Amino acid sequence: MGASRSNLILGLLIVAFSLLLLFVWVPLDTETGLIEKVRRQVTIGDALAPTVAGLFLLIGGTILVLFERKAPQQPTVGLSSLGFIGAVALVLIVSLFAMRYAGPALVAIANLASDTPQEYRLLRDAIPWKYTGYFLGGSAMLVGLISLVEGRIRAVTVAVAIAAVVVLIILYDLPFDDLLLPPNGDV
Amino acid sequence: MARTISKLFACACATLFATGALAADWTPPGPIKLMIGFRAGGGADTQARLIAEALEENKGWKFIPEQVTGKGGINLAAALKDQPNDGTAIGMVVTETLGYNMAASNSGLTPQDFTGLTTTAGFQMGVVALSSKGWKSFDDVVAAAKGGAELRFGAMSPRLADLAYLVGKAQGVDFNIVSVRGGKGVMDGVNAGDLDLGFMAGIQAKGVAAGDLVNLASALSTPLVQTPDAPTFKDLGVEFNADGYFVFIGPAGMPAEARDALASAIAEIVADENSKAGGIVKKAFGGAATISGDELTALLDGDFANAGKLLEAASE
Amino acid sequence: MGTLDYVWLGVQAVFQGPEAFSVLGLGISITLVMILSGFLLGIAVGATPGLAGPIAMAIALPILISTFGYTPDALLPVMGFLIGVMKGATVGGAVPAILFNTPGTPDAFMTTLDGYPMTKKGQAKKALRVAHFSSVSGDTFSDIVLFVCAPFLALLVESYLDLPEKTALLILSLSFIAAVIGGSPAKGLISVGLGLLAVFIGTGEDFYPRLSMGTPQLSQGFPIATAILGILIVSAVFKELEDLWVEKRRSGKIELTSQSGDQRLHMADIRRLFPYIARSSVIGTAIGALPGIGSTLAATLGYTIGRGRYEKRKGADDPDFGEGAPEGVASTEAANSSVSGANLIPVLSLGIPGNAAAVFLILAAESIGGFNPGPSVFRFTADTVNPELVVAFGLFTSMFIANVLNWTIGGVFMRSMGVMVRVPKQFLLPIVLLLTLTAVYVQEARMAAIWFTLGFGVLGYFMRSVGISPLPFVIAFILGGKLEESARQAFSATGGDPFFLFNNPIALAFMLLSVGVIVVTARNARKAE
Repeated sequence: MGASRSNLILGLLIVAFSLLLLFVWVPLDTETGLIEKVRRQVTIGDALAPTVAGLFLLIGGTILVLFERKAPQQPTVGLSSLGFIGAVALVLIVSLFAMRYAGPALVAIANLASDTPQEYRLLRDAIPWKYTGYFLGGSAMLVGLISLVEGRIRAVTVAVAIAAVVVLIILYDLPFDDLLLPPNGDV
Repeated sequence: MARTISKLFACACATLFATGALAADWTPPGPIKLMIGFRAGGGADTQARLIAEALEENKGWKFIPEQVTGKGGINLAAALKDQPNDGTAIGMVVTETLGYNMAASNSGLTPQDFTGLTTTAGFQMGVVALSSKGWKSFDDVVAAAKGGAELRFGAMSPRLADLAYLVGKAQGVDFNIVSVRGGKGVMDGVNAGDLDLGFMAGIQAKGVAAGDLVNLASALSTPLVQTPDAPTFKDLGVEFNADGYFVFIGPAGMPAEARDALASAIAEIVADENSKAGGIVKKAFGGAATISGDELTALLDGDFANAGKLLEAASE
Repeated sequence: MGTLDYVWLGVQAVFQGPEAFSVLGLGISITLVMILSGFLLGIAVGATPGLAGPIAMAIALPILISTFGYTPDALLPVMGFLIGVMKGATVGGAVPAILFNTPGTPDAFMTTLDGYPMTKKGQAKKALRVAHFSSVSGDTFSDIVLFVCAPFLALLVESYLDLPEKTALLILSLSFIAAVIGGSPAKGLISVGLGLLAVFIGTGEDFYPRLSMGTPQLSQGFPIATAILGILIVSAVFKELEDLWVEKRRSGKIELTSQSGDQRLHMADIRRLFPYIARSSVIGTAIGALPGIGSTLAATLGYTIGRGRYEKRKGADDPDFGEGAPEGVASTEAANSSVSGANLIPVLSLGIPGNAAAVFLILAAESIGGFNPGPSVFRFTADTVNPELVVAFGLFTSMFIANVLNWTIGGVFMRSMGVMVRVPKQFLLPIVLLLTLTAVYVQEARMAAIWFTLGFGVLGYFMRSVGISPLPFVIAFILGGKLEESARQAFSATGGDPFFLFNNPIALAFMLLSVGVIVVTARNARKAE
């Protein structure tokens, strides 16, 4: 473990990021400078606070590189971690897209068989339409993550996932009229 | 074919009859998204939610309230602009959003991007200090400042900061103008002694009644209801004022029947002091003030056009 | 009207308010019922990973106000309910921290450090008992201080802290957090820097939302729930899932910890824990009384000071702090729980909240009207009745009732929430994730908030992976907005004085301490090498 260079690498990355933040992002993406003069009065501008944040990063990164480079027990980040978080991200992205677009897609399909075309936006408070996205996307997320960890897909996993999503719908949607389940606030 | 004919007939009706008659028949095609430009739980947010609740009860329309806060209502305006304009998306902000804030920001938004529905209530915008400061009138403040005291003047929006600057300039004194978040922030600052005086838009009523706070001036074009003797900004030599209202808006180009139906329904609720919404409007903002239709459009356009003059005056 | 008359009126207001129902001809007031329901809901919500008191309050407040209306009669039932939620969630929050290593609130993070190792060693029930006992002790102590000192202390503290001092105090809190948590000042500073950067995106005074790169998604900034839940909860879920995944690939199956041994809390335990609870209660109460500083700093300080004492006294076989020492749980829980009572001192007398729960109490008071938190509350009028003072004493009574509930039925109810330990984690963790994302969505109503939460989750996961504590990030995120605001105000208020942080003795002392604490810990860290 003693040979790990993770602190050095991390420190250099942070220093590089903070320099980018301080000299490129903040100056280009704020309206007022560090301080500005309005109404005959000097006031603090919008760039000052992010600059302070950048200085925290720069100082932290520098201390890491200069003084804590050889600290004992540095953690190592393995490739398997990256693989795991990548797989999790994939499951989440797929299931959230299902959550967002399943409802509108279902309405579009229903419209093929009907001559009064409807819009999901106007149906987002109507049962069963308003649950389609959350139900499908939520179940997909749970089945995906559980199966990823277990390394196999089981019938009980699917059953638990569906039951859990139904409980969450009951918890959030039934008692509170004004709360919106995803994705009904976006459409 | 039959449907086309009935549609044509409907159009013909729309041109034949006054919009008022149709507005009574209007129902939203789906749930209405109500964007609220104020933080959850505050007086303004409560007002919006109660209006929605009352409309759900009276009209059977379905509302879905949602918070879209920040940047003096500009965030809400930017989000609302691209929503469908069939009456299923409306928002509540203050007139200052469509006036000064749109003029001062380079967001590219103008009042023409929106349909004004109705205002609900005005502000009782006063310049307030702790009565323990011993100031009886704004003249005492000016005297204190001229006597060398460095006074901190709290303002909760850039427009009010401009006004604070101008009133100082008119009276020949310099205030240290402190930007504070919300009228509550000003009141906290004044109470805690961090600020010497500041703008409050109605929140001061109770403190003034109890004798803890004192209205030194009215930032409106008219005297304050609670302290009619306090001078207005005009009396103090400032040609601008902080007149403003809570206002419901929708995206531009909303059909007249939807606009009229929404506006009259909202106005009716806030004007009824026995309704919960009307009650809170009465209690917190001194009663309903409903301006709608062309009058509102003119008000919003006028505020936007005049904002430039204030900005210019304050940058001198 | 003497002080005692006011106290008595306050007690009466709670017990003799509008009746909910009557038992044996004895009317039970609606306020009592609301305190009890709030309390039970608070424990359940606190014990559910991914939920926390503020979320429950946020959802309940509009419903309560719609139910009770806008009369002064509504104040005590509504605020009593919120106080119940606050107290319940404070003890309940220890449950997921101890059982699942997933803190529901930033305060409970320190509880995971020893609570979760105790669970792994099979002492989950005992850890819960220690947490409950310490939490309730701290809470009760703090309430007593509140009742006795509220009118005097608040005005005293406030009269010495002006805007520059408040700014300096926030800087001191941040540098202290950076230095103390995680053992590496460098990584602490990085965590604080990232947290500050996150909160500064999309905010600011100008109409252009800074650092938003012109995108509408970033122009409202990151909602506070996305950052807190993402960095603390989602990242913990990812990390735990990875552990399960690795375990499964290595051994082919997933282990369940079995709970064994003596789970009770003995008199001897209490005697041993008492000094830690006492110190932490005092720390928590003192911190709570300072406006604007929340319970997270109290938990950190209580834990750190407890660790200092423990290292000198522990037996050779006792576990270290961080390896499952009951003293660690006790120090943290007593400290963070004792904040909530004292926190109401600045809230009631100045209207300035120190934590999220206090924010909701203020919102309730403001929305309902008839109670205007501020100096006028503590005016003891001689000839007329000051109704706000009656409400204030009514609130004290409600807190006292909630404490009685906590001592009597709280522990049992809290441990019954522990049934969740039997749920297989590979099922529970993804459900917690979905619950968290749903809770974020119902508050924010846009998919972007879910993506933010997951983004913060991934960031937190990598931070944990390279040994950066996520806690300073969250504290910086919470304090960042206040810091910028008070710095701007102090700068304007002093007429643009660039040295406003250094030219008065209290602010200067805070600033020197801020630098000092970083230098000292950095030097200690080098020595330890």
